Amino acid sequence: MEDDDRCSSSNPGGIGQEEEDEDGKVLRFLDSLDSYLTLLDALSSTLRQGWFELASARHSMGSSRISSVLLDQKVQSAATTFQVRKSIDGSPSESHPSFAISKWASSRNGKCSFRELEVSRVQKTSKNSELRHRGSSNFYEEHDLTINASSTISDSDVQKERSKSLSVFGTLVSPKLRGAQVSFETALDAIVEIANIRSSMLSAFTQLQQEMKKDLG
Amino acid sequence: MAGRTQIPTKNSALIAMIADEDTVTGFLLAGVGNVDLRRKTNYLIVDSKTTVKAIEDAFKEFTAREDIAVVLISQYIASMIRFLVDSYNKPVPAILEIPSKDHPYDPAHDSVLSRVRYLFSAESVASGRR
Repeated sequence: MEDDDRCSSSNPGGIGQEEEDEDGKVLRFLDSLDSYLTLLDALSSTLRQGWFELASARHSMGSSRISSVLLDQKVQSAATTFQVRKSIDGSPSESHPSFAISKWASSRNGKCSFRELEVSRVQKTSKNSELRHRGSSNFYEEHDLTINASSTISDSDVQKERSKSLSVFGTLVSPKLRGAQVSFETALDAIVEIANIRSSMLSAFTQLQQEMKKDLG
Repeated sequence: MAGRTQIPTKNSALIAMIADEDTVTGFLLAGVGNVDLRRKTNYLIVDSKTTVKAIEDAFKEFTAREDIAVVLISQYIASMIRFLVDSYNKPVPAILEIPSKDHPYDPAHDSVLSRVRYLFSAESVASGRR
């Protein structure tokens, strides 16, 4: 007891602070891991819905009308793209990539117009302490997803881009095919989240590895 | 790993896909398809006739391209080139293993989870206790 008092008086906050930092890193890693698995579960569910709708569309339109043979081989740019930025947690040496999605971008008459959705990470380091359970369809409702949508194009432009994408399969398409399109768009949102969580998890893992090497060495 | 490697900033980067026909078709509907002037696409449709070499070549090509941010690969296809996927360690493009219609996602085979699993292994716990 007296030894403990002497130790704590000579090094009052140092060791405690280090342990807290290490615990923080462990918690960050475990939370990222949990979010990663939960998001993959949600993605699986969304993809299943998309495949089902695609199969329904194939059933109603005919399998020859929904086939990879029809996929356009003419030069075209992707309407939905990603942005990659450097995200820094703590010190500059702990940077990792951060991803954002830009949906249905179009260039018309030399002007670029786009709708940008930036989905921040589900796992906030500070405040949100609610328990999570592994639901799939309710995932986006239960979690604190911050979406900053700065739409500089109208919904009609988005619909035009969507129709252009659907037109590969003919002028009149089944509503199920439109449903499949929406499902896969939702899947893309999940993929952005997964990419960010993966990046954060690997960054936390690297920090933990370094801590462990320091402790052993 | 993530801290030491340069993280390139990219705008309008693509998402590449190595997956079955339905998965690729679905994502192309969502607008991610790209065909450049050399008729090179950002996707590879894998079927029963696709060879492992073709999958490996596509993986190497997509991971070397600078205009690709994320590579989506069905997990059962990633298992065919597991050595290549597990030895990949760059932060960008990110490799994401996704489920397919006939092969649900298995966390035990995910390359990212395999990498971090050792933290929970008996060896790492024992070495921490010494």
